[in-house]
Amino acid sequence: MGVMRIGHASLKVMDIDAAVDHYETVIGMKTTHRGKDGSAFLKCWDEWDKYSVVLTPSDRAGLNHIAYKVERDSDLDVLEKRIRDWGLGVEPVPADGLQFCGRSLKMTLPSGHQMYLYAQKELVGKDVGTTNPDPWPDDIRGAGAHWLDHCLLMAEVNPAKGVNRVAETTKFLMETMDFHLSEQIMGGLGNSVQLASWLFRTTTPHDIAFAPAPVAGLHHIAFFLDDWSSVKHAADVMAKKKVRIDVAPTRHGITRGETTYFFDPSGNRNETFAGLGYLAQPDMPVITWTEEELGRGIFYHTGQLNEAFLKVYT
Amino acid sequence: MSTAPCRTVRIAQTGEEYACRATETVLIALARIGRKAIPVGCLSGGCGVCRVAVRRGRWHKSGPMSRAHVSEEDEAQGIALACRIVPDEDLEVEVIGKLQRAAPTSG
Repeated sequence: MGVMRIGHASLKVMDIDAAVDHYETVIGMKTTHRGKDGSAFLKCWDEWDKYSVVLTPSDRAGLNHIAYKVERDSDLDVLEKRIRDWGLGVEPVPADGLQFCGRSLKMTLPSGHQMYLYAQKELVGKDVGTTNPDPWPDDIRGAGAHWLDHCLLMAEVNPAKGVNRVAETTKFLMETMDFHLSEQIMGGLGNSVQLASWLFRTTTPHDIAFAPAPVAGLHHIAFFLDDWSSVKHAADVMAKKKVRIDVAPTRHGITRGETTYFFDPSGNRNETFAGLGYLAQPDMPVITWTEEELGRGIFYHTGQLNEAFLKVYT
Repeated sequence: MSTAPCRTVRIAQTGEEYACRATETVLIALARIGRKAIPVGCLSGGCGVCRVAVRRGRWHKSGPMSRAHVSEEDEAQGIALACRIVPDEDLEVEVIGKLQRAAPTSG
């Protein structure tokens, strides 16, 4: 019962045609619906629900909302009560409030991000079908990403003001939705301050993560690839298409992921990554990285932070 | 190689000058040669770290700039994102944006 996985991310984009082209030809998604307002709904070939990314025309970049799918409709009643009892406002939204979805719950996380929970979304099916399927479809484009895997959100941390939205949101997700903590960065005096967190509901190291910033925002949304060779191929696709790459292929210490970071045409950061790292389980002891080893946690090979990596976001 | 004419971009604070083709943005031209007078972020008009004020010279936009970082009033005063500025003539720009610390330092 409860939250299964990330369902979709809705992003603001400044040039909808350029954005659709990016998510189709670089990430390898397909458009499943275009809204009257110009918005675009897209899915990856290995996903079965109608969309995992929504792009909406805007005068700025950034996140509209994230949505996570729960297993059963009745879970929404249980979670609504838990969220309310925790002390956070939660708004029931009728079916189709989230397009192509059943009823949902809408809330603003302590981090300031808007989050939805829903139990049902229109089923489209994987591109390879379900009867004697091939391992991949013939019309793969770009990186050919399998699925939207997770997101990293920036939340305000300012110890001088006594503000730590990373820790607060982590606690909220663990106490109300049974998210489990896989890894964290601890810093400050005696490494007592939780500066970043990686949380899961699936069996992978993270379904959502939080990192510290002066103001809330979107750090990245991440798409899953098969292996290291696919990570390199995806980076080749980006170089050919002159996509702005932020971090060329490397490996994280945290989550052990093999990764490339880059920006969509509005500056929203994307990640293509491979390596599910390890089997994440509710009883797995939490992995802690200390602030002084932050560089190695993030970029395992060099151990050096790319300055823009934690400071540039939408 | 592009045969487009080159413009000169001058950084107001330091006097540093560099060449920018008339077909590229002032930030791409800077990043291409590995210099760092202006912070380089998403290079796509979204993140806002490359805010500059154009003090001299005409230019045009290569694409949209986030209103979260350049308001209409800003734009009227010549404030723009360097990743979207294509020079029509030699430019002088004052760097306003900076990479802000995301994480507080310990101790």
